[in-house]
Amino acid sequence: CPLLQTHTFLSSLSLLNQTPRRRERAPERDSEMGNRSKSSRKGKKAWRANISTEDIEDFFEKSTKDALSGGNLSAAPSEDLFHVDKSHDIPVKWKIEKHREKVLRCDSVLKKNPFVQVVSSSKPKSKISKKNTNVVESKTLKQAQKNVDDGSVMTDLWGDDDDDNNGEHEKNPRKIWKMTSTIPAVEVDPAGCSYNPTAESHEDMLAEAVAQEMQKVYKAELGPEPVPLTIDGEANIEDEAGLLSVCNRIINGKSAYFLGVDNGSEGEEEADAENESSEAGNKKLARTTKRVTRVVLNKRSRQKALRKMETKEKLKEKLSKEIDSLPKILKEIAKDDKEKQNKLIRKKIAKEEVLKIRPPRLGKHKYEAPPVQVLLTEEMTGSLRKLKACCTLARDRFKSLEKRGILVPSKNIRRSLYRALDKKKYLLILGKPFGATSDKPICHFPEKCAESALKFLFRCSVVAASKYKISNYEDFMWVTKDELLAFFPEHAEFFNNTIVS
Amino acid sequence: MPKHYRPAGKKKEGNAARYMTRSQALKSLQVNLNLFRRLCIVKGIFPREPKKKVKGNHHTYYHVKDISFLQHEPLLEKFREIKTYQKKVQKAKAKKNEELARLLLTRQPTYKLDRLIRERYPTFIDALRDLDDCLTMVHLFAVLPASDRENLEVKRVHNCRRLSHEWQAYISRTHALRKVFVSVKGIYYQAELEGQKITWLTPHAIQQVFTNDVDFGVLLTFLEFYETLLAFTNFKLYHSLNVKYPPILDSRLEALAADLYALSRYIDASSRGMTVEPKVDASSSSQSNDRAESELRLAQLQHQLPSSEPGALMHLVADKEVEEDEETRACKSLFKDLKFFLSREVPRESLLFVLPAFGGTVSWEGEGAPFKEDDESITHHIIDKPSAGHMYLSREYVQPQWIYDCVNARIILPTEKYLVGRIPPPHLSPFVDNEAEGYVPDYAETIKRLQAAARNDVLPLPGVGKEDLEDPQNLLYAGFMSRTEEIEAAENKKTMAEREKQYHEELKKELKKEVTGSVVDDVAAPVVEEGEGEESSVPDAAQIAQDTADMPTLMMSRKKRKLYDAMKIGQKKKSESVERIKQRKKNLKADQ
Repeated sequence: CPLLQTHTFLSSLSLLNQTPRRRERAPERDSEMGNRSKSSRKGKKAWRANISTEDIEDFFEKSTKDALSGGNLSAAPSEDLFHVDKSHDIPVKWKIEKHREKVLRCDSVLKKNPFVQVVSSSKPKSKISKKNTNVVESKTLKQAQKNVDDGSVMTDLWGDDDDDNNGEHEKNPRKIWKMTSTIPAVEVDPAGCSYNPTAESHEDMLAEAVAQEMQKVYKAELGPEPVPLTIDGEANIEDEAGLLSVCNRIINGKSAYFLGVDNGSEGEEEADAENESSEAGNKKLARTTKRVTRVVLNKRSRQKALRKMETKEKLKEKLSKEIDSLPKILKEIAKDDKEKQNKLIRKKIAKEEVLKIRPPRLGKHKYEAPPVQVLLTEEMTGSLRKLKACCTLARDRFKSLEKRGILVPSKNIRRSLYRALDKKKYLLILGKPFGATSDKPICHFPEKCAESALKFLFRCSVVAASKYKISNYEDFMWVTKDELLAFFPEHAEFFNNTIVS
Repeated sequence: MPKHYRPAGKKKEGNAARYMTRSQALKSLQVNLNLFRRLCIVKGIFPREPKKKVKGNHHTYYHVKDISFLQHEPLLEKFREIKTYQKKVQKAKAKKNEELARLLLTRQPTYKLDRLIRERYPTFIDALRDLDDCLTMVHLFAVLPASDRENLEVKRVHNCRRLSHEWQAYISRTHALRKVFVSVKGIYYQAELEGQKITWLTPHAIQQVFTNDVDFGVLLTFLEFYETLLAFTNFKLYHSLNVKYPPILDSRLEALAADLYALSRYIDASSRGMTVEPKVDASSSSQSNDRAESELRLAQLQHQLPSSEPGALMHLVADKEVEEDEETRACKSLFKDLKFFLSREVPRESLLFVLPAFGGTVSWEGEGAPFKEDDESITHHIIDKPSAGHMYLSREYVQPQWIYDCVNARIILPTEKYLVGRIPPPHLSPFVDNEAEGYVPDYAETIKRLQAAARNDVLPLPGVGKEDLEDPQNLLYAGFMSRTEEIEAAENKKTMAEREKQYHEELKKELKKEVTGSVVDDVAAPVVEEGEGEESSVPDAAQIAQDTADMPTLMMSRKKRKLYDAMKIGQKKKSESVERIKQRKKNLKADQ
């Protein structure tokens, strides 16, 4: 390698150069050393071999490096080392021009904007003459429209439909999600629901209605029996024992309705019993087992190895068989795939079919279809006047909303309210009613609300205690709906109709 | 560790990130449930059913984007503002500062739904498409009793009434009504506007009730939106007729509950470029409603009209040219020269809507009616009593069903069966496609024959010609799919030929002025008679059908054959069901 050769040559050269200098410096160092350690010259440090020559070696290394890299950089002038890159510099003249190019905002505002239409002070005459007829027509049209418009507060929402509705549709950032329900908003009843249907179609619809009713009946029959509210027994309970027995009976009676719980506890007991018996068996076994000798162990291990071998061979055989039947397997897989796909498609179609008649499950409760509105056979008169029409269209609408998945089906929202109202207590006061002629105190509602009994009945249970000075009256009582009806039998109908469900 | 464990603070993915429950939505929107419901209804945001219900099956889920869409709704702010304002009022009331409360109530902030309608229905067609529910609801609330408990004010009921009448007036004016079906629930109408079929249901003229299982608060919110929508739709429609929209009605007619009539008069008057006549001369029986006269008047007006409004008239004429397609013309001229009078007991609202829609002239018993009962020119008297008291010989006394059946059949049916005191023939649903169903009721067939007879006067029956002879060759070359069609066509032709003979027979009979007792019996007879003759006229269709049935099955691929078999099974099922219905009918007859 020529490079290496040159290196050695150079080093030898430098060595030659350097040797006399070292000799010259030697006494100097001696004097220094003498300065440094005055005490003793006999130590190991004073030995020639132990004097460090590090700096000399460093110098040599540096000088060789310099020689190799082409001279010491620190000595070189900076012009040689660096140069100024002027290739990307902008000439001064151009710089000024660029600055001038920038248009100030105040100037740009005054410039003509292509998007703003110019409002001309006067229309050129030539245009009018060209489209004379059209313009006049549209003008008159507009005028007519204007005439029509006066007095109305409303404006045409879709007035600019023709030209820019499409554009806006695209511009609209959010696509409004349309209902995916395939159920139409207004479902037309089938022909059998006509007020004067043909006998065949009417029978069809009747069958459907009957089926709906029967379904309810069957459901009630097949479902679990409700827990009875009361259990019959002797009414007079005298001593504690009697009470206890009644309690027991109640518990037994109820437990009959919780069969699952009973079975569970019995099962546990059985399990316990089994556990006990198995433990006993273990003790017996422990007594009867023999010691396992070495021979037996060896035998067992041999047998184990044998079995292992056998299974291995069997596996091999199986594998080879499987490899042989590869085309068959492939066919099977293809078949399976096909079946799966078919199943998937069927499922999809079935789902769509279901969606046509049943809404998605949106909440806690399932959607319940309203009863079919069909005339009974004896109600069919063929006369519109005598028609027994459906009066619950509001429910029909509500159910339609639920069916289309717009509303979440809920369970009898108002029934609970009515039940609460039934149980609510109403205030009756015994005293002299306002403006009464006789002195005899009678039972009546508080006066203030007597005229608006409806509001009163809703509120009095809350308000009464604070609002009416009970002390003014001889007596008062809280009554339930039934009692109220009993008190005022002459108003029973009124109460039933207006206030309480 | 559960399968779908996600460390706290890590972002959710999938359904958990895409859907939120209602209570979560309430929290994020910071509104109460009532307000949320209202917002959802007016914005048209509905719950969805995610594939995987992350929080369980008993929750209601909303899409996250839907909720964020609600979040940006300006109405939400408005609702909040109203809420705070209500608090102010309440506070004033609690402090017994009645004056302040009243003052505050007069300056209550209100909101408008116009923008939402524009947003939900970017084009007018969209709005028309979604009008079914709206119309049904508005028509329903127009007859509901105002109720304090349900928070249903009289004002709103009146508004609903007005809107529904406006809509009906427009439909009858443009003759856009197509089908009417009287069912137990109510009366179904179908109109066609700008190519959209709009179906709606109106209740019968009986008291509607509030039922327990309906949340009327929700329905009222829907109604609020629908009222606005229908108002704008009516506005647009009226302006297309060049009529001022919130119509100013004759107060006298309005007081007499004849809004619809008042409206139609208003439209008539103002679309002719006239201002509404303030006074109605009830006694002048031959009002502008008479067709010939009105035409004449129109011609006169064209001369008289001031030159300031030629555009309006041109607009009107142009409009008419555009809108009148064939069907509209047919509908317009159905009851063209007939004059009806309604008795007290017939459903006036419905008939007042239907009859003008098909070109008829109507009057009714009561004040403000255009003509009286003793008018000589009345051709039909609609009555629903077992017997009429005083009968005019010049007119026919028919039951209301006759009108509905005529409208659905688009011909004027013979009135014999609908005369007073008789049980009318069954009222068939025009919404049922008999061909698709496979079973045609007797009366439908009778009507069909009558229709064909009516058409036959003008043009002969198409389809029976020389092509019959070439058909065998065509059939042989036809593929499988077309084959079944061909067979059907051949059969159709057979039946058509059969029917045509019947028609001719009937026409002859009619010409001979034979009094036909019952059409059904007559139909049965010719079928038997023509039994042999018919086969000679179309001799080889069945034979060829049989031949061709075998041919392609051999040529078909297995896939197609299977499909064909499946189709056959479906057809068989259908025919079986038809058979069953027929059997049932036979049984019914036997029972009678």
